[in-house]
Amino acid sequence: MPMPPSILLLLPALALSAVVFLAPFLWLASTSFRTQAEGSLLLADGFSIHNYARLLADPFFLEVLLRTLAYSIVTTAISLVVALPVARFIVTRAGRLKGILLALMLVPLVSGALLPSLGMLHLMGPLGVVNGAARLLGLPTVKLLGTPAGILIGLVQSFLPLMVLPLVNTLARLPGDLEQAAASLGASAAATWRRVILPLATPGIVAGSVLVFCATFTSFVTPQVLGQGHIATFGTVAYQQAGQVLDWPFASALAMVALAMIGLLQAAIVIGSRLSRRQEARQ
Amino acid sequence: MSDNRLSKAGVACLAATMLVTAGLPAFAQDFKGKTLVVGTWGGDIERLLRQNAAEPLEKETGAKVEFVLGGSGDRMARIYAEKANPTMDVAFVNIYEAPQALKDGVVDAPDPNAPYFKDVWDGMNNGCYAMSLVGLGIAYNKKLVSAPPEWADMWKPEFKGKIALSSYPGSEGDGVLGVAARLAGKDEHNPDAAFGKLKELTPIAMTYTNLDEIFAMMDAGEVAMAPMISGYVLAALKTHPDIGFSFPKSPGPVLVRDMLCLVKNSPEPELAKKFAALALGVKNQTDYAEQLYFGPTNKNVKLSPEVSADVIDTPDEVKGLLQLDWPYVISQRADWTQRWNKEILGQ
Repeated sequence: MPMPPSILLLLPALALSAVVFLAPFLWLASTSFRTQAEGSLLLADGFSIHNYARLLADPFFLEVLLRTLAYSIVTTAISLVVALPVARFIVTRAGRLKGILLALMLVPLVSGALLPSLGMLHLMGPLGVVNGAARLLGLPTVKLLGTPAGILIGLVQSFLPLMVLPLVNTLARLPGDLEQAAASLGASAAATWRRVILPLATPGIVAGSVLVFCATFTSFVTPQVLGQGHIATFGTVAYQQAGQVLDWPFASALAMVALAMIGLLQAAIVIGSRLSRRQEARQ
Repeated sequence: MSDNRLSKAGVACLAATMLVTAGLPAFAQDFKGKTLVVGTWGGDIERLLRQNAAEPLEKETGAKVEFVLGGSGDRMARIYAEKANPTMDVAFVNIYEAPQALKDGVVDAPDPNAPYFKDVWDGMNNGCYAMSLVGLGIAYNKKLVSAPPEWADMWKPEFKGKIALSSYPGSEGDGVLGVAARLAGKDEHNPDAAFGKLKELTPIAMTYTNLDEIFAMMDAGEVAMAPMISGYVLAALKTHPDIGFSFPKSPGPVLVRDMLCLVKNSPEPELAKKFAALALGVKNQTDYAEQLYFGPTNKNVKLSPEVSADVIDTPDEVKGLLQLDWPYVISQRADWTQRWNKEILGQ
């Protein structure tokens, strides 16, 4: 049976993925079951679940993963609340400014993680813009660096565009007469949001949430720079184990566990959104 | 040396000869088209290595020198990952990484017959070649700390919450643990004593990762003292009149060394050796001392009295330094990192 031509067109991309993503990923997975010989950094022969046992036995690592999970959920929630009105404004009211606003939204994405984080450092630091101004005015200073609040501000700033863009796409496709119909049937603005816009925007909300959640969970620069070494997250601990302790097998196991957590949560989100859509359909 | 240049015919002839006698060493001047890969730290170190080792080497051999910049952990990861097929020829690492790399067979053992081995003070080529000498001392805020402090002064109640530490793992953190253990009457082989004593300094003011950040906090009075490695710090003090640096006496500063490693089975071993000779040579080490305050390991370096006062440059000075059992320390690294995470950072 000859292959359909569309598959042929996919082959280069599939081959590239296999080489640059799949093979290293399988290597990472297998490394997570290796150990380093006593007094050596070389991988010892044989496979064992030693790294996973150590990870699960030490509450520190579980705390780190749970803390990262909490930050990811909070960042996703804040991003959603902030992004909905922004996306709605860009779609319905921005007019000629639409292009400029979208370009502005993209700035954090194209500037990488480091520059905004260093900017935040100068903003939030004890000698930064905010506290410098507070000192001048004789107001009490706020400690943001090295606190969860500081990291969350940085994370929302970094990943907000990942929420806004899918929402803009989804909201732009909503036919305007649906809202007019809702209004003519006597729905208040809030009810229109709740009963019409939000349910129809679900695909955008899910897509944005998945993107922000994954980006937050695996972020390294923002928690490292703004956490000042006081707050351990998955990214900072993985870096510490791989780049400083040089325990690559353990760092691999940490990455695999984090991946499993992300995978489970994503599956839950997708299944949950499908179930809720089915319920909508039944009503 | 133009009379040593080969004509094209000569090259062809030589190539033919080499095809026949494959495996004979390449002709000394014939490194055109070859690239030497050197892994080192960025900034001033890269600048001096480029100026004193890479450029002369490129002129002399026609080869190119490519620098790969980063932390020594990156380089260790790379030479281990490429053990079967190395792409890096020269790697600069820390005092504690060099013996580990030698033990694991990823670097060549220092060659006692090499001239640049003999020029280094006896007993310092440990694992790899000793490149520079620095000591862990105390950077301090002169407004808050009246005289150059001793280690024990960091534990005075008036400085509680005003002591900054570097991120762990790293030689600074290990050095501080070694000092804390000794203040508790033990040494680094007793981690409980070390961590117990160091925990008394918590909450720490901050974990610093670069000099600008810690100096800004010191100038602002948020930090009174921070254990730091001499070298860059001394070079940076010129622009910070309110910050001083103390080499304590009891115990002395902790000896820290940068090491130059020749990667085992690297693509360009000949070029790597030539690079090592230039990097460890008198000119480069003199510049290291005068510009970076990194003490020379080469016994032929002669420093002016002013520079000599600020750097560790004699075996006698080295004797006064605290030397840790680095192989033991590195074997404890994973456990100590966890203890540091929990007990010192209080996570």
